Amino acid sequence: MKILYFAQIKESIGKDQDIIEFKSEISINQLIEELISKGEKYKKSFDQIKNLRCAVNCEYTTNYNKILKNKDEIAFFPPVTGG
Amino acid sequence: MKVFFQKKKIIFHTELKKFSSKNKFSGSISSFLGKVRPHRNRKEIQFLEIEFYKKMAYYQAERNLKKILSKIQIDDFLIIHRYGKLYPSENIILVLVASEHRKDGLTFTKKSVEWFKKEITFWKKETFHSHSSWVQPEYE
Repeated sequence: MKILYFAQIKESIGKDQDIIEFKSEISINQLIEELISKGEKYKKSFDQIKNLRCAVNCEYTTNYNKILKNKDEIAFFPPVTGG
Repeated sequence: MKVFFQKKKIIFHTELKKFSSKNKFSGSISSFLGKVRPHRNRKEIQFLEIEFYKKMAYYQAERNLKKILSKIQIDDFLIIHRYGKLYPSENIILVLVASEHRKDGLTFTKKSVEWFKKEITFWKKETFHSHSSWVQPEYE
């Protein structure tokens, strides 16, 4: 599963992506818990970024119980500034 | 898809000439040119950095532009948006629309610019003399 980070969250974590393979189904909430367990930078990022947005395969979602597949591309980012 | 994201500068007259020649039988060419502002809250901007989620930007732009096009009739359009490092007064976005009648061309120009200004997956960071800061969305 490809997990992308943009803008403030990218700066805060210190990288623009993670690639993680999961052996069983996982929801967005569980993915966030998994990421937070990776260390303080992740915890701080997910705790502190205001109004964090999530997109699965380029579609916004607010349903954090949504089940993800390993082939999915997940993105976390702050509200867009626009062009 | 006639939307392009590029780092290189947008040369307005070159793009306009090419687009106008390509659509020489259209009744009108509408345009919008957005530029980098030199100030924010009276503070001088040194430069602007634009980061974007390319795949989602193309995906969402295509869908939204199709929606706009379902209600109006135009002959052709071109949208170029820059990313990367930009300096005040540089061109940031160009929209060109060829249409038989000006009304549809102007409607497409207005709606597409408004969508890009609010919804495209772009994040801007401004650098001033003493610090840098991420631009906050206007609608938040």
